[in-house]
Amino acid sequence: MPPSRRQLFAVVPFAALGAQLRPAVAQSARKPVTFWFAQANSDGQAALRRNLVEAFNASQDKYELQLEVKGAAVNNLLKIALVAGNGPDIVQTSGPSYLTAIANAGQVLALDAFAETYKWKDRFLPALLNTSVFGGKLFALPRDYESLHLFYNKDLFRQHGWKFPTNRVELEQVADAALAKGIIPFGAGNADWKGVNEWVMTVFFNNVAGPDAVRKALSGELPWTSPPFVEAVELSKTWYNKGFFGKNYFSLTIEQAFLQVVNGKAAMAVGGTWTFGTKSYGMSDPNTVMDVAAFPSLGSAFSGPLFQLACGATLSIAKTSQNPEGAAAVFDFMLTRKFYENMNRDWPGKWALPVKDLSPDMLKGIGYPLFEKTVAQMHQAFAKGPYGFTIWTFWPNATNSYLIDGIEQVWLNRMTSEAYLGRIQTLFAQELKEGKVPPLPPRTT
Amino acid sequence: MWPFALPAVLINVAIILVPAVLTLAAAFVAWDGVGVPAWAGLSNFQRMGDDPVFWSALSNNVVWTLIFLSVPIAMGIIMAAALLVAPRGRLIVQSIIFLPRILAVAVIGRIFQGMIFSPATGVLAWLNGHGLSLSDPLADPDRSLYAVAAVDIWHWWGFLAIVFLAAMRQVGIEQIEAARLDGAGFFALLRHVLLPGISPTLTLMLILTVIWSFQVFEFIYIVTRGGPAYGSEVLATLAYRHAFLESDVGQAAAVACVMSLFGLCATAVYLRLQVRGGQ
Repeated sequence: MPPSRRQLFAVVPFAALGAQLRPAVAQSARKPVTFWFAQANSDGQAALRRNLVEAFNASQDKYELQLEVKGAAVNNLLKIALVAGNGPDIVQTSGPSYLTAIANAGQVLALDAFAETYKWKDRFLPALLNTSVFGGKLFALPRDYESLHLFYNKDLFRQHGWKFPTNRVELEQVADAALAKGIIPFGAGNADWKGVNEWVMTVFFNNVAGPDAVRKALSGELPWTSPPFVEAVELSKTWYNKGFFGKNYFSLTIEQAFLQVVNGKAAMAVGGTWTFGTKSYGMSDPNTVMDVAAFPSLGSAFSGPLFQLACGATLSIAKTSQNPEGAAAVFDFMLTRKFYENMNRDWPGKWALPVKDLSPDMLKGIGYPLFEKTVAQMHQAFAKGPYGFTIWTFWPNATNSYLIDGIEQVWLNRMTSEAYLGRIQTLFAQELKEGKVPPLPPRTT
Repeated sequence: MWPFALPAVLINVAIILVPAVLTLAAAFVAWDGVGVPAWAGLSNFQRMGDDPVFWSALSNNVVWTLIFLSVPIAMGIIMAAALLVAPRGRLIVQSIIFLPRILAVAVIGRIFQGMIFSPATGVLAWLNGHGLSLSDPLADPDRSLYAVAAVDIWHWWGFLAIVFLAAMRQVGIEQIEAARLDGAGFFALLRHVLLPGISPTLTLMLILTVIWSFQVFEFIYIVTRGGPAYGSEVLATLAYRHAFLESDVGQAAAVACVMSLFGLCATAVYLRLQVRGGQ
């Protein structure tokens, strides 16, 4: 008997519901891959959703990437979640110094089998990949490389006839000339992020004492109380007390301080690669007043400019992950040319993958000349050396924390440089003994 | 009776006793917060005693306690007495002085940091632009603790005033009128009638102030993060630093135990006074 009109009408809503449900059922058949991301501004979050989550989910039908932006406290949340066995599949840390404890505790999986399958060991720059090798096993992939750069207002330099400095004497001449004209030599402020102190001290340790001395100290072969480091700390104190960082270092936020340079009230600024991602600085504009270069040598240990090696984030797979294959597939998706180009175009400075076959030349034409030039220079420096070592990547946690707050005691004349370095040496020696110092990259020739 | 108390007992055991016992236990182990804890004996307390930052943090807590036992308490008592003797407009004044208490701590911290004290964007910048020469107290290690305390007092004193006013309204009206007929002025009335009348409330608030002062964290963490140069570091920010920046949970727990010790002493004093009052 053919169905009546009433029966047909009754069936229509169920058919429609079924049609709606079918994709949902297919969707839920995908195995989820969970990923907690740290801080991301609105542009960054949009870029993540579009270029990572939606693009990965559209690229295959086995896995579904589920991303949550957790904010600045993600490192604390992550540790607690991992201990409780409830962490995400993809464990992103803020770099090797955070990864070390997690890897030593066996909370993440060794990636060597996946590395073999996906040829990761051939693709990544050894300088970065080695920062995640513990006991001969690979526990993470570096998400990016970073460095510290000397940003400067090129219009201001031109206006006052200053040449870009290539050594300490020239740099101090420019700074003195700026001070004489009422211009702040370095726009700097740590009111919203005390970590600015470690940016500054990374430059002093590496560019005064030299990268070889820093490597030896990080290996435990040279104490932090050695003369090159005393000279580095003393120089930082001299610059602070001469007013090279301005009168309001403890009152200004990072953005306020940097905008002083953009607005011509300050001449230069020390900033990380992430600085390129702040739109208010207008540095992607072809007519920007800003320019950028590697920081020159500040001592006699070496000559020439120096980039400082940093890894801003590592990516691992949780020991308790129900879907390690899916997580590895996400990692491999991140290493595609399209993802690299899109992320660096939409969120510059956050996803500079240290992968040999993702050449920075691919970024030419994204419409950000300063960033393109800097990434190309960093890629070359980190592939061939020499390079310095950033505090947030290579210093263990307790030493790092004291280094950041203790230097304020030196600058404000509450402690001598020797006493400060003595405390650093005590803390570092203890952490080295306990295996808390992150791995160093292989030596370059 | 006991079954009625069971839910409260269970909740207190789960969210107070168990974490407290675990914190005490953590003070005797070396633990990075993610690996396996190892027995450390008294070494966390030993390192704590050797750390000059611990002693400066402890002395900052003592200074903070003394400030909060005096300034906001005095402000609250005087305002409460004033509102009691001059009730006109009381509702409006109460609303205004209580307003800071309902604002989020993070919002207040940012307002004072960016809009009051900042030499770039704050009232301070405006004053400096009009001929004064003032520096940011938050940037001075000798003044930063007092500057943050001022922010917290602004947030806190109105609440105390309301509490004291509520207590003063319980004082017999005949006592107040008799004092007035005898010619007592504002301060004599306050000293001889109102303060004795609110002494149980005052004692409770003083003891709670001691407990809260040794737990102070939010304002300092938001406004100065204990700096500059550890100038405004207190025990709670030091414990946070040890646990989450230095991955040293054992050391953080040792500092937390010292914090709790002061709270326990204050609680013991309060209970003793309660018992004495009951007798």
